[in-house]
Amino acid sequence: MILPGFLYFVIFKYLPMGGLIIAFQDYQPFLGIADSPWVGFKHFVRLFTEPTFFMLLSNTLILFALNIVIFFPLPIIVALMLNEVQHKLFKSTIQTIIYIPHFMSWVIIVSISYVFMNVDGGVLNEMLAAFGMQKISFLTSPEWLRTVYIGQIIWKEIGWSTIIYLAAITVVDTQLYEAAEMDGAARLRKTWHITLPAIRPIIITLLILKIGHTLDLGFEHMYLLINSLNREVGEIFDTYIYTAGLKNGQLSFSTTVGLFKGVVGLILVMLSNKLAKKIGEDGVY
Amino acid sequence: MNRNYKKIAALMLCSGLVLTACGGGNNAKESNSSNGGTNSTAKTTAAPADVLDAKAKISWLNILQTSTTPTGPILEKIEELTNTEIEFSWIPDPSKEERINTSLASNSLADIVTLTILDNSSVRNALKAGMFWEVSPYLDEFPNLAKISQDTRTSASIAGKLYGVPFQKSLARNGVVIRKDWLDKLGLQVPKTTDELMEVAKAFTEKDPDGNGKKDTTGFMDRSDLVYGAFKTLGSYFGTPNYWSVDDAGKMTPEFDTEAYVKTMDYMKTLYDGGYINQDFAVTAKTDQQQNFAQGKAGIYVGALFDSKNLLNLSKGIQDGMDLVMVNDITSTGNEADRAIWAGNNGIGGLLSFPKSEVKDENELRRILKFVNDLMNEDVYGLMTYGIKDVHYTIDGEQAVTIKDTDLWKQEVQPFSASRPLENGFIIHDADPLKVEADKLIVENAKYAVLNPAYSLESETYSTQGSELQKIMTDATYKYILGKIDLNGFKAEVEKWKKSGGSKIITEYEAAYKAVNP
Repeated sequence: MILPGFLYFVIFKYLPMGGLIIAFQDYQPFLGIADSPWVGFKHFVRLFTEPTFFMLLSNTLILFALNIVIFFPLPIIVALMLNEVQHKLFKSTIQTIIYIPHFMSWVIIVSISYVFMNVDGGVLNEMLAAFGMQKISFLTSPEWLRTVYIGQIIWKEIGWSTIIYLAAITVVDTQLYEAAEMDGAARLRKTWHITLPAIRPIIITLLILKIGHTLDLGFEHMYLLINSLNREVGEIFDTYIYTAGLKNGQLSFSTTVGLFKGVVGLILVMLSNKLAKKIGEDGVY
Repeated sequence: MNRNYKKIAALMLCSGLVLTACGGGNNAKESNSSNGGTNSTAKTTAAPADVLDAKAKISWLNILQTSTTPTGPILEKIEELTNTEIEFSWIPDPSKEERINTSLASNSLADIVTLTILDNSSVRNALKAGMFWEVSPYLDEFPNLAKISQDTRTSASIAGKLYGVPFQKSLARNGVVIRKDWLDKLGLQVPKTTDELMEVAKAFTEKDPDGNGKKDTTGFMDRSDLVYGAFKTLGSYFGTPNYWSVDDAGKMTPEFDTEAYVKTMDYMKTLYDGGYINQDFAVTAKTDQQQNFAQGKAGIYVGALFDSKNLLNLSKGIQDGMDLVMVNDITSTGNEADRAIWAGNNGIGGLLSFPKSEVKDENELRRILKFVNDLMNEDVYGLMTYGIKDVHYTIDGEQAVTIKDTDLWKQEVQPFSASRPLENGFIIHDADPLKVEADKLIVENAKYAVLNPAYSLESETYSTQGSELQKIMTDATYKYILGKIDLNGFKAEVEKWKKSGGSKIITEYEAAYKAVNP
């Protein structure tokens, strides 16, 4: 039974890893891996010495931190809140509405934002102007990029991310709640002392998985948001790999960047997993 | 067991991350074997004359400038006139860099490949590595190809070798398009200097040229493109070189290291600060720019002069009174002697290249070159430009063409027009007065064209890091115009450019220039 899955991973996941070898070559497609010249760590040296490297790393890490600190807890809070809603129909309506944006592509979400935020006739800016306030160039200011970025993620993904938590909450033993009620616990107490601890393993697991995607911030989303004026805070490894590799055709160099990104992700997963075990949780492996 | 499985799963997860970054690289070998057999008829060892007369089956990896692929009878007609069977693979223009790069990387090419981005490093590497036929020894065998001037051949060469038939474009086609009806309404003259142009922009913004009582117009309507938008054309008026300037001693200077470039930025900054330009021009797409202009939101458009015809067409039903005037003789000083206009890619629109992996021998190459030669015949040119007589257009005794049904033309003919290897010098012409005028001005422009002296020079650093480095200067230019950095900040960015590899590019270009001009 395991054979098809095994073959799938070998053929589509492990064999292509051999392609990583081109990070150590000046890869020329028409020469192939066999005949392309070997250059050792040249591309790594270039990556680490390029002035953009520090910018890429800090942008990536800052956006990652925003993702973990701001976005990650929100679905948990929403799930807990939804759990408190007694009215069935109302609850499922809310759920459906907040799921919907998940199914839209980033292109659509960024376009909608453009309509709202551009300076010449954007809805938001027209409102600001109507209240006698200064118009804000949300799309071309480095100060606003991160806010716009995280705001769009929250809007798009918050509903979808609550699914697992809601599912986890439903399996909490109801006897615990009844017992707590007997002891006179109020709603907030029950949430704090029963629901949250019950879903803690799920939270930890999802957190570690999320950390695995550290440097994977969503190429498409960011690529659509960057322009000349906010690049200094918006350029991340994903967008850099795309422009250097596919647009400029530097396959070897962008493989190097990708390899670096993957290794950092791997290390972070291993560290956070260790940490999880230290504090007495299961971890993911 | 369970534990191990989890381990594997975690590994998969991580490796997935790595792999997404490098999926495109390693399938060149596999696809090699599956290619080759596509064109059979032209493959022969017979004498060239027989080869040239034989019906050929030709595949063509081509760029699509319009939003849909062509339908209708044009393709069949072209095949008839050139005695071929053509199979197109279309690449949409916005994604051409990615698609051409992946095609080169995976060796999935066609008999003819349209390469419009010659300064892209992987395209350049592929050409230099000899992936395509060098065509200069064969050109003179064909009457139309023989007419390609030596200048054009030199400009389109890489390290002295010509790896395809160059698209021959007008040297310099840019200029300024202005709302004539607005000028008249405000009692203004057609501007001749940059100062007058500024006055017009100011008046269009502040004096309500559309007479609706609202302050809802701007002077310029520009787009997020420092090359084909307003910036480079305005730059020409201030005497900015076309990417590079070279002095008698062979010293090369990049455009952004010149006084004139700063003057251009200052001009744009004045436009921006005064609100005489759409405030979001840094994020405006070309289609939005043209739509907004057609909707009467602004009165000055800088771009290709023949865009005026499209702008007028777009405005029908929205701004019916629109009347446009094209200007190509603006200077910053008012002296005719200072007239200048940058030449886009030195008049080279790219190359029609023939990969050795597909085109196996000289005879096959000759047959395909004959096909390209035939594309430059007047009858095929007419087909690809206007369509079929009495179906798509009518023609008068003066060979002036009127399109019968623009929508039909757009669907069936327009997609082919970007594939014409030659655009000028034909008798048949558009009857539209704006188009006639635009063509006349574009011909006039050629006399004042500023070429890029580095266009056909080689620089290793430019090939590998050029576009990354260019970003530094593009970003800095926008920031200066929008007032986020001052002149010192801009100079600092120039220094950063030099330090990050720019100096090397200068040295390499200077060496290459000396090698060609001893």
